[in-house]
Amino acid sequence: MKISNQSIIEMYEKMLKIRKFETKAMNLFAEGKIPGFVHLYIGEEAVATGACASLRDDDYITSTHRGHGHIIAKGGDLKYMMAELFGKETGYCKGKGGSMHIADATKGILGANGIVGAGHTIAVGAGLAAQYKGTDQVCVCFFGDASTNQSTFHEGLNLASIWKLPVVFVCENNGYGISVSQARHQAITDISVRAVAYNMPGITVDGNDVFAVYEAVNEAVSRARKGQGPTLVECKTYRWRGHFEGDPTVYRPVEELEQWKKKDPIPRMEKYIIENKVMTEADVTKLNEKMEKMVDDAVDFAVKSNNPSMASAVEDVYTDIIEEARVR
Amino acid sequence: MNAIGIIANPASGKDIRRLVSHATVIDNNEKINIVERIILGAQQLGVDKVYLMPDAYNMGYRVQDKLKTSGELKCDIQVIDIYRYDGIEDTLNSVQYMEEKNIGCIVTLGGDGTNRAVAKVIREIPLIAISTGTNNVYPVMIEGTIAGIAAAVVASGKFDKKLFTTKDKLIEIYKDGVLKDIALIDAVITRDVFVGAKAIWDVESIEKIFITESHPASIGFSSVVGSKIIIKDEDDFGAYVNVIIDEACVLAPMAAGIVLPIATDQPVILNFKDEYEYHTSCRGTIALDGEREIEFAENQKYVFKISRNGPYHVDVRKALEVGQANGFFCVCKKIKED
Repeated sequence: MKISNQSIIEMYEKMLKIRKFETKAMNLFAEGKIPGFVHLYIGEEAVATGACASLRDDDYITSTHRGHGHIIAKGGDLKYMMAELFGKETGYCKGKGGSMHIADATKGILGANGIVGAGHTIAVGAGLAAQYKGTDQVCVCFFGDASTNQSTFHEGLNLASIWKLPVVFVCENNGYGISVSQARHQAITDISVRAVAYNMPGITVDGNDVFAVYEAVNEAVSRARKGQGPTLVECKTYRWRGHFEGDPTVYRPVEELEQWKKKDPIPRMEKYIIENKVMTEADVTKLNEKMEKMVDDAVDFAVKSNNPSMASAVEDVYTDIIEEARVR
Repeated sequence: MNAIGIIANPASGKDIRRLVSHATVIDNNEKINIVERIILGAQQLGVDKVYLMPDAYNMGYRVQDKLKTSGELKCDIQVIDIYRYDGIEDTLNSVQYMEEKNIGCIVTLGGDGTNRAVAKVIREIPLIAISTGTNNVYPVMIEGTIAGIAAAVVASGKFDKKLFTTKDKLIEIYKDGVLKDIALIDAVITRDVFVGAKAIWDVESIEKIFITESHPASIGFSSVVGSKIIIKDEDDFGAYVNVIIDEACVLAPMAAGIVLPIATDQPVILNFKDEYEYHTSCRGTIALDGEREIEFAENQKYVFKISRNGPYHVDVRKALEVGQANGFFCVCKKIKED
């Protein structure tokens, strides 16, 4: 497929941005500067980046508890994200949601989500809305391998297929559901085969190759926009860190992690970019520095922001719609 | 010891062609069923040891467990104990192990890509290739039981393998004088600038097609050349065509359910001694047996050669005919003795 150098550079920039944001979050959490929990996306950057590269601003995504990468790839602002991680009032959820609830309706980001498997049905709702309104918007639903054991996965795929909804289900198969390896929680190794049961195409791609993800999701998005229905794209990948920061990861062999680190999506893309003269080594270094500065600026913004006031503790708990309903 | 090996590719049958064409999904449970039938067929005809490639789905152990539980397993099954990479390395290392064990026959479950990986390592062991992939020219659809029986005939060592095998042709691709990679059936130069999801389905991106064999009954790029000229596996040559927009089109089955017009010039024969030099003028990729594998930049030189350095490919039908003609399946005397 045809792709411009500019698009390639943008994808590389997104992957770098995610890696540097997550590395900074890892360090800040270790230093005790971030409250709550963080689930890091390091190692899986190619999936969110490749998948979101085919989306427009008005398209939707649903995310997971490991959502920073998805949000950055869809255009989330690092400053507001970092402020949310710090629990500051300038954060995406005014500091009251933390890592697992970041959302940005203006970018079609329907939210990270602390409930495993919640995104499937939210994505179906977004797809139904787009179909009902007659737009050609698409929703990409990100989820992990273990969430495909949840009923929401099966209900979601079933409805999406029956109603031919514009939803692309992107499974990040990183081999573990919290601390349980896929072999111990599933009787299959390839999630893509589950698509057969719902009469939709299901394919497996190398989730550490941003081009492979991009090509596959691009085809699926194009199909969805034309009203041809949903697709299940399984991306085989690996999370380098534990399920959460502080997880000792005693449930997986060290050699396994080392093997996956050799498939790190970022150096793979760097090699491609330099060998094919898309960028020079100097350009790559500059871009790395630029992304680091962007993350540092986000931290600075978060640190300087205020904590939410006590008075705001019960704000945003109920929507106006419910208040209106009460009045009625 | 009468041993065979089985390479069941857990990744075959699930690539992007399920999305861009109408390719079949073959899940790993179906592959397990086929492996069972191979083993059951083979052990009845004297195979007493089966080596299996390890994989993440543990197909070998699942087969072993199932056949033991049902009381049908008579031979010894060994899942090869090597480090599992869950990639092409597993095929390469398993075939290497089987070569070292000097087993009698290897049976593969996969597509052209799986067999290309096997062809990189296999030397003398005859190969039976069962199709569980997508656009397959090299492997064919065979019932597993029959493939198992044929494997037993081959592995028995009672017959000259020349009676039922063909030494396959290869396309060898050299860069700077060094063998870079091989293809069993076709090598395609494309203007796609990255390997990505590997399969190629966009006719407009194709520049040249090299083939070892071609026939209108093939699917994929072999059929494009096959629409103009038939080249058989026994022919000591291959061919190439240029895809040129201005030339007259032929309709060819490019992928499952996808029959498209594609414009090529007349095929040029490539004999074994011939070398085709290709100088790159822009970025692109070389697809081997239907999958983009080599990314190239501009101002590089690649050399394409046809050789007969491929595997000894078993014609299952011929192997069974040889067995039948030599009383391999006659067990009346043995039954009476029992």
